[in-house]
Amino acid sequence: MTTSTEAAVNQDSTGAGRKDFAEREANGRPHTEVAAFRNVSKDFGTVKAVHGSTFTLHPGETVAFLGPNGAGKSTSIDMLLGLKDPSAGQVTLFGGTPRQAIMNGRVGVMLQSGGLLPEVTVRELVGFACKVHPRGYAVDDVLKTAQILDLADRRVDKLSGGQEQRVRFALATAGDSDLIVLDEPTTGMDVTARQAFWSVMKAQADAGRTILFATHYLEEADAIADRVLVMHKGRLIADGTAAEIKARAGQRRISFDLHPQDGGDASLLNTLPGITALDVSGHTVRIATSDADATMAAVYRVGLYPRGLEVTGVGLEQAFITITAEATAAEGN
Amino acid sequence: MSQLIRLEVLRVLRNRRYLFFTVVFPAMMFFFYATSFKNQTFDGISYKTYYMVSMATFGTLSASLNTAMRISLERKSGWTRQLRLTALPGWVYVVSKVIAAGVVTLPSVLVVFGLGAVEGVHFPASTWLGMGLAVWAGGFVFAAAGVALGYAAAPDTVQPITMVAMMAMAFLGGSWFPVTGGLKTVGQYTPVYLYNELAKYPVNGVSVGASQVVGLAAYLAVFAALAAWLYQRDRKTV
Repeated sequence: MTTSTEAAVNQDSTGAGRKDFAEREANGRPHTEVAAFRNVSKDFGTVKAVHGSTFTLHPGETVAFLGPNGAGKSTSIDMLLGLKDPSAGQVTLFGGTPRQAIMNGRVGVMLQSGGLLPEVTVRELVGFACKVHPRGYAVDDVLKTAQILDLADRRVDKLSGGQEQRVRFALATAGDSDLIVLDEPTTGMDVTARQAFWSVMKAQADAGRTILFATHYLEEADAIADRVLVMHKGRLIADGTAAEIKARAGQRRISFDLHPQDGGDASLLNTLPGITALDVSGHTVRIATSDADATMAAVYRVGLYPRGLEVTGVGLEQAFITITAEATAAEGN
Repeated sequence: MSQLIRLEVLRVLRNRRYLFFTVVFPAMMFFFYATSFKNQTFDGISYKTYYMVSMATFGTLSASLNTAMRISLERKSGWTRQLRLTALPGWVYVVSKVIAAGVVTLPSVLVVFGLGAVEGVHFPASTWLGMGLAVWAGGFVFAAAGVALGYAAAPDTVQPITMVAMMAMAFLGGSWFPVTGGLKTVGQYTPVYLYNELAKYPVNGVSVGASQVVGLAAYLAVFAALAAWLYQRDRKTV
């Protein structure tokens, strides 16, 4: 590890400095991995919570850990943070053990629930987190970023659910960490609160931090993440951008109207290339296709005249269902 | 670590339960005993002195075992997990709990001793100091027991166990009334009995009894070993 140069960069708490740091690492020097899972498994008795998981997180990425409850997301995060030891395989954080990385203040963590101390004020709790962080920020700055300056003197045990989440966020961003890990951060928040939360989070990503968050909200993964890791029944079944995962699941949707006065033989629709699903109701045609370009070229070639043409990608949600169904089928075989 | 100790002390002092069981309750009981027994004596010392010491040790016992409840609750709430994700070494949590228990014991001892002085208990300064030190030092035995209990089970189990253990030990240890006969045969080996004896030693002007010190040290070793083992077990299960 190139400790001396890193230390120098880490002293610089400005956003610009961090960005440089992230880019320099992304360009292939000094080391390009924030975290790595190498063939990691975790068993609880006979239950395989995580099964042969391999991935690497790179500096500056915003990565979503996506999967339904019980997919192995939380277990993976626990292993990443050194709270649980893997049954097999190797987990590294910043090239060392998770514990070393945490001792060096390189990781800020927002737990899913709990983790707050009663009988103290928000300022006392966040101030504590700032002071124990090796490169802690001033408590007022942290409170301001988390938008809880107005709650500073409230007792932690007298907060609403959404306010608690913002305090947890403040604990995760109390110091100059390179990686921020969030375990289902928006659980229990309403839509407005969620949007506000992600806009604050976005600022952290823009400052060059690497962010890993677990979620079962597909729209969050789609909107926020540069990269999505899909977990299903303990296996990592997809790893790519949201667009790539959608493409892998197939698929685009085409819809148009065919009017009788335009002529053309609607039965020819069945002969079109790339089609995975076809639905004709009245004049309206709906197609799902694995190759929208070829399908549309053929529509014109056979002499059809589509009106009101729309071509759309499927949502991540549909892609997710397709991929997990494939994974389940593959397991069955 | 000083940050965590500061936070722990603040929290305990804000806790009404703590204030009642550790400061108010022993003080009330002492006042009650002092007015009932007036100037009678037992085994060569006045009842006032006897109860002043045993109520001071009871306050310490209560503060120390309160630690059990807190550790258990904080394990459940995930605070211990959150702490493991900070740069603080793991043992700092337990050590700061024990130190905080040691610090917050002070007000209860001062209040009961102060009341004793008001009620007419007279000693040379060295005796007061000796008693204070004995009560304080002996408290660590029970702080270790508190840590062990806190890591032993979930809050709803720990609470009744703590209350029963505290009352039974105080009863056998002679905190409520001097134990004699059959009760003493059993009671004299219990930790609170040894603790009370140790705390009263300066009164008789005799040097600290070796058997009491050895006995308490043995309890400390057992409780600390138990605490260390349960703590390690907890870290493996998160």
